[in-house]
Amino acid sequence: MNGDSIRVKVFRFDPSRDREPYYSDYSVPFEKGMSAMDALDYIYQNLDGGIAYYDHAGCSLGICARCTGRVNGKPGLICQTAVEGDIVLEPVNKDKVIKDLVTRRGG
Amino acid sequence: MPIQKIETDVLVIGGGGAGFRAAIAARERGVRALLVSKGPLARCGASPMAGADFTLDGASMNGLGRDGDTNDSMDKCFNDIVTQGWFLNNQKLVRHYVETAPRLLKDLMDYGIDIKLSDQRMIFFSGLHLMDILLKKARSVGVDLLEDVMVLELLRRDGGVTGALCLGIRTGEFIAVSCRAVVMASGGWHKAFWPNTGMRDLSGEGMAMAQRAGATLGNMEFITFCCNIMYEPPMWRGSLAPYMLGLIAGGRLCNRKGEEFLKQYDPSVVKTGTSTEWNKSFISMASMKEVRAGNGFENGGVHFDRGEVSWDLMKMIATFIFPDWKYKAIDLSEWGRMLEAGEPIEVGPAVEYFDGGIIVNDRFESGVPGLYAAGECCLGAFGSNRVFSAITEMLVQGLTAGENAAAFAGGSAQVAPDASLVNALVHAAEAPLAGKGNISPARARRIIQERAHAQLGPVRNGNELSDFIAFLERVRANELGSLTAASPGRIYNKEWIDALELGNMVQLLEVSARCALARTESRGVHFREDCPVTDNDAWLKESTATIGDGGFDIGSRAATVTSMSPPGGKVPYLDMMKRMMESHSDTGGKH
Repeated sequence: MNGDSIRVKVFRFDPSRDREPYYSDYSVPFEKGMSAMDALDYIYQNLDGGIAYYDHAGCSLGICARCTGRVNGKPGLICQTAVEGDIVLEPVNKDKVIKDLVTRRGG
Repeated sequence: MPIQKIETDVLVIGGGGAGFRAAIAARERGVRALLVSKGPLARCGASPMAGADFTLDGASMNGLGRDGDTNDSMDKCFNDIVTQGWFLNNQKLVRHYVETAPRLLKDLMDYGIDIKLSDQRMIFFSGLHLMDILLKKARSVGVDLLEDVMVLELLRRDGGVTGALCLGIRTGEFIAVSCRAVVMASGGWHKAFWPNTGMRDLSGEGMAMAQRAGATLGNMEFITFCCNIMYEPPMWRGSLAPYMLGLIAGGRLCNRKGEEFLKQYDPSVVKTGTSTEWNKSFISMASMKEVRAGNGFENGGVHFDRGEVSWDLMKMIATFIFPDWKYKAIDLSEWGRMLEAGEPIEVGPAVEYFDGGIIVNDRFESGVPGLYAAGECCLGAFGSNRVFSAITEMLVQGLTAGENAAAFAGGSAQVAPDASLVNALVHAAEAPLAGKGNISPARARRIIQERAHAQLGPVRNGNELSDFIAFLERVRANELGSLTAASPGRIYNKEWIDALELGNMVQLLEVSARCALARTESRGVHFREDCPVTDNDAWLKESTATIGDGGFDIGSRAATVTSMSPPGGKVPYLDMMKRMMESHSDTGGKH
């Protein structure tokens, strides 16, 4: 850690409970060479256990491709997108959301 | 919430290579087969992460039209697996491996596998490709498939297995499966350690629930750590790219003092221990010794750079393994720049393979009626150290377990799930949602993982193992019952999943640590700095662990010997390692 923090804004939506999507803001310690997944792991482990992103069977190493999402609007693998400053994390398709960043496949 | 009910003949738990091969085999025997995958189909567990090599004797390879060494034989492979395993192997399972492997290679070729390269006793392809082929085959023969479903507990009646209770992770719904036989193929329990080599689903519930159902776990202290795993930057943590490059191209390992620490060891051990997959045990042990002596770097690792290897050579090899500096979707070009400039990257051991597991016989029966096991979750062929191919192991065992489970299923009755048992299990599984405790599952997990790496890692001693066991007992007594998800929602609730996984990991860690404490010698991947001698007089035994009335019953049984007699005597660890390395047969090939 070099003492700096970044702001991480995350798309939130639980269709079974929320009327509409919203965003949560978190302050995450910046670490050189971190990925957007590292930021989510920090949030999940330290700030907000209720957040959902696909990792119960993810590889975090760019192989399984289940963590696909948008980082600052651009689609890519969340685990292999380097973070250099503040970020916004969203699902690729907001109409397919099961919860937060986890989406239905197909259809 | 209503519980979904599914009926099948053979339930296969686990969506890696062993599980798919078992499900295909069972289905081809004419029974219904349901494969339950915790993650995405063909994209979870360790199999898709693998390199991967399929290794068998060169003569059989040659007979199948591949260019293998005709002077090789099944007996030579047998010799090599047993000496690599320091004679702790179940020799019946070694025989099964060498004799069944040719059939599996023929199957893979019939399925249309694309072989990238081969040597005199192995073929090489990607794990992703293998899984794609197995998924296609499973679909073509009519295996039923479920994905993103976690199995929580086996259902039993009169001691025999009759089904399993599962949880749909995306829906939060319970599923009660009734079946006539189960093949456990749930892989390893990498998630109990940090760092690890990737996949986040491998939390050991299959082995843990088999033990709870009455199966015996064996040799749980033997855990293979892969060396030279990236510890930095965070985005690459867990990648085995430096391991692969180092194995083929060489390179240099240094400690914080700038010393090439491998130079203190016997040059012939270093040669075999860096240029073959003996590196996993040898370098992991040597690296961890440096870190424990205070000679490591910030992340608890050592430094890897290209050393004396010319940039031209290293670049040529690297671009063959990682075309355009891409390894799957990882962009390693920055590492390429560092290698060229002679800059080091921090690497170290990370948990990679579990040599022990559910004890099975050579029919892959666990001893619990109707419960079979195959692949990494069972105590397989490799004894105390694996150098040969885990890919071959999972496929040969999956095949035989699947066939035998199908035969068993054909002769047994379908039993509907016991409603009161299912309700009790559902009630227990929902406890973390009730919000009565105050312990965050994710934070508790991380503390346990880091401690497992430090105290149950490649270098162990009795005091630390005792300390770790006491810690796990406190976790079991004070924390597991208080794990609570912050959100009571059922849909993709990460904390709920974490809470359900953690008890299994704590169970396996405690079993492993207790077996490691009991084994007062060093052998294979189990190195005790306080007992640095391989004791062939007292310890040619498998550790065993069952659940008794008062906790775990730790015992032992003689290793299964058929044709190769083990040596006797007490031998210093590295001398024994050298003897085992030198016992390799005279054939070519990577293994």
